[in-house]
Amino acid sequence: MDHAVSRRFVLQSTALLLASTALSSKALAQDAPAGGRLVVAADSEPKSLNPAIVASNGVFFIASKVIEPLAEASFDGENGLAPRLATHWEGSEDGLSVTFKLREGVKWHDGKPFTSADVAFSALQIWKPLQNLGRIVFANLETVETPDDHTAIFRFSKPTPLQLVRNALPAVTSVVAKHIFDGTDIAKNPANNQLVGTGPFKLAEYKPGEYYRLERNPDYWGEGQPKLNEVIYRVLPDRAAAGSALEAEEIQLAAFSAVPLADLDRISKVPGIKVVTKGYEALTYQLVVEINHRRKELADLKVRRAIAHAIDKKFVVDTIFLGYATASTGPVPKNAPEFYSADVPAYDFDVEKANALLDEAGYPRGADGTRFALKLLPAPYFNETRQFGDYLRQALAAVGIDAELVNNDAAAHQKAVYTDHAFDLAVAPPVFRGDPAISTTILVQSGIPAGVGFSNQGGYASAEIDGVIATAAQTIDAKARTLLYNDFQRLVVEDLPLINVAEWGFITVARDTVLNVANNPRWAVSNWADTALQA
Amino acid sequence: MSFFTRLLRSPEGAFGMIILAALVLVALLAPILFPGDPLRIAGPALLPPFSDPALPLGTDRLGRDVLAGLMHGARTSLTVGIAAALMAIVLGALVGTAAGFAGGLIDEALMRVVDAFQIVPSFLLALAIVSVVGPSLPVVIAAIALGAWADPARLTRAQVLSIRERDYVAAAEVIGMHPLEIALKQVLPNALPPVLALTSVIVAAAILTEAALSFLGLGDPNVVTWGSMIAEGRNVIRSAAFLSIAPGLALVVTVIGVYLFSEALSRVIAGGRARP
Repeated sequence: MDHAVSRRFVLQSTALLLASTALSSKALAQDAPAGGRLVVAADSEPKSLNPAIVASNGVFFIASKVIEPLAEASFDGENGLAPRLATHWEGSEDGLSVTFKLREGVKWHDGKPFTSADVAFSALQIWKPLQNLGRIVFANLETVETPDDHTAIFRFSKPTPLQLVRNALPAVTSVVAKHIFDGTDIAKNPANNQLVGTGPFKLAEYKPGEYYRLERNPDYWGEGQPKLNEVIYRVLPDRAAAGSALEAEEIQLAAFSAVPLADLDRISKVPGIKVVTKGYEALTYQLVVEINHRRKELADLKVRRAIAHAIDKKFVVDTIFLGYATASTGPVPKNAPEFYSADVPAYDFDVEKANALLDEAGYPRGADGTRFALKLLPAPYFNETRQFGDYLRQALAAVGIDAELVNNDAAAHQKAVYTDHAFDLAVAPPVFRGDPAISTTILVQSGIPAGVGFSNQGGYASAEIDGVIATAAQTIDAKARTLLYNDFQRLVVEDLPLINVAEWGFITVARDTVLNVANNPRWAVSNWADTALQA
Repeated sequence: MSFFTRLLRSPEGAFGMIILAALVLVALLAPILFPGDPLRIAGPALLPPFSDPALPLGTDRLGRDVLAGLMHGARTSLTVGIAAALMAIVLGALVGTAAGFAGGLIDEALMRVVDAFQIVPSFLLALAIVSVVGPSLPVVIAAIALGAWADPARLTRAQVLSIRERDYVAAAEVIGMHPLEIALKQVLPNALPPVLALTSVIVAAAILTEAALSFLGLGDPNVVTWGSMIAEGRNVIRSAAFLSIAPGLALVVTVIGVYLFSEALSRVIAGGRARP
């Protein structure tokens, strides 16, 4: 639940919890004061702001307040979901269709009514053909029937598990208006940046390099929502600046660990500022070593196991992440209990064993103490991925592997790793998005064309793992499907197509006056309709 | 009085020489005093300075020895500074001599190239080259040198223009020396001294440029540099300021040393010419 610390808030929530446990968060949201302007730190300005095309957290952070998905993740909702534009959903027994009941009385920001035609258009013209994640989830979507304005029936050519569709709803189903995009070149439509949505806020103004201004939508369907009059995203690309700006009360909120981890301890002691570690449960980032299996040394399982043994996960968690992370056991993070399986081999930190494995694999140390040299490309997106690159170079040196670091900017890194395959090892931060089939199996599945970011571009191919992925993709029964993913985890950890090192959520730092922070598992990228400011 | 005695007589010269000698000593001794990779993890992370005699200046975010980083960083800084300056001077002197000596169309053409390099701010040029070619030590050196060779080229050309009108050059022409021989053997050596005085300025600027590039994450990540140490320390500047201050001080002292030395050097060269 909420992490705000004011006494009134705690008393209120205790009283309400006593009165009605189920409704507590909703009731609270309605009690929160209305009005005010929330100023938030933004560290990037995405090229396209359309969340229906680019389903990434950088886009959601701003766009999710304007354009809404069919459902949002929730701590206490059924199947971990809270309804948004859809109020009810049901899958058929054969897995060939899913029926959505849509919310009535919803209006687009330009005044036109929201109907099932918008959902059908978004699904068939945008999510399936254009969206990075929708391509996978809706690969077998054939048609969307719209028997009336508030019903959309998704029909699939092959069985598609309802479990997957459900888990994909928050990230994949941002609905855009048919009347804006229909008949235009969707990729070049100006509405990709001048968003028109149904959400609690309208995008009022964007000054490149300075700020985004969101304005209250007075016609929002949520009763008494939104609370805030304005949300301003101040562009602060300098991470060190976010902390000082919070202290100076220039901004009131910094999400996605905009305040460096090393500064949290200090800033948590500043009066009037709270450090919140919740609100990212459904946005788990994973620290992964990507391996290019085209290198003959790395194609050898013994070498990959040796590398896994050479990495001290405890050091990574304690020193690089300063404890704000968890050591990984496999490709599914621990905070996805629906799928997580602990029944996988463990590679404990053991330099001697790593050395023995490398000797056994036929790569003895040369006269200078090294066995072979590698190129290591740490992803530049986070301080932590870079630091882990620095650490990994040293950890590999300890077992006689000379890893040369190659630093690139984001664009060059993506090209080098995912298009040109010009790497031996890379450090990547993929995201687990509630279901392994959304953005996790693609990391090890074979047959993915070059150029697809955050996918298996290391040339790894295992018929067994591909088989499990393909079967699970069409297994309707949630239990059987979950068991298949347990197998998947074991197989991946046994064969190490990549090495999972740690998993982390982000940290939000906010002024105490900001209420209802982190009240759902995707809070930073949810619609903030109930976020409020204490007067 | 010999050149060196005169250099050491001036307080700037003496002070600059001491600093530079100390730096060279540090750079040479670094691999002996701190063998192995200075980037390896040597102890607990963020150890404050003067708390552990084995790690006198403490450790950084990952537990790397700050003192070892400073010592090895001196190597990188000096290597980059000297190599870039050498490249810039050699390139500049050759182009300047060719332009000044050949005159005419060649002079015009070469000088326009020099103009082109002179109007681009040298840091931006280095930034562009490194981000396109990719950060590694040779690339960084070449990128800095390319931004610095225009000044020596202009100076050399001006010197050559004045020298080639002298009697001994005319005499060399009369005895039938090859123009190339005259340019390289008679003119260039006499044109060089003022250009050499420019060297130390270029060294100082190159050290600063390298630090700035590393600070922006465009240095070679496999070697330790003062710029990258400052950049990494910056993330924890509120809680562990020494991580940025130590390499920053090293940078300041080095650049002051080089400037003092260059000041004295140009004075000695100018003085030497006033008293023929």
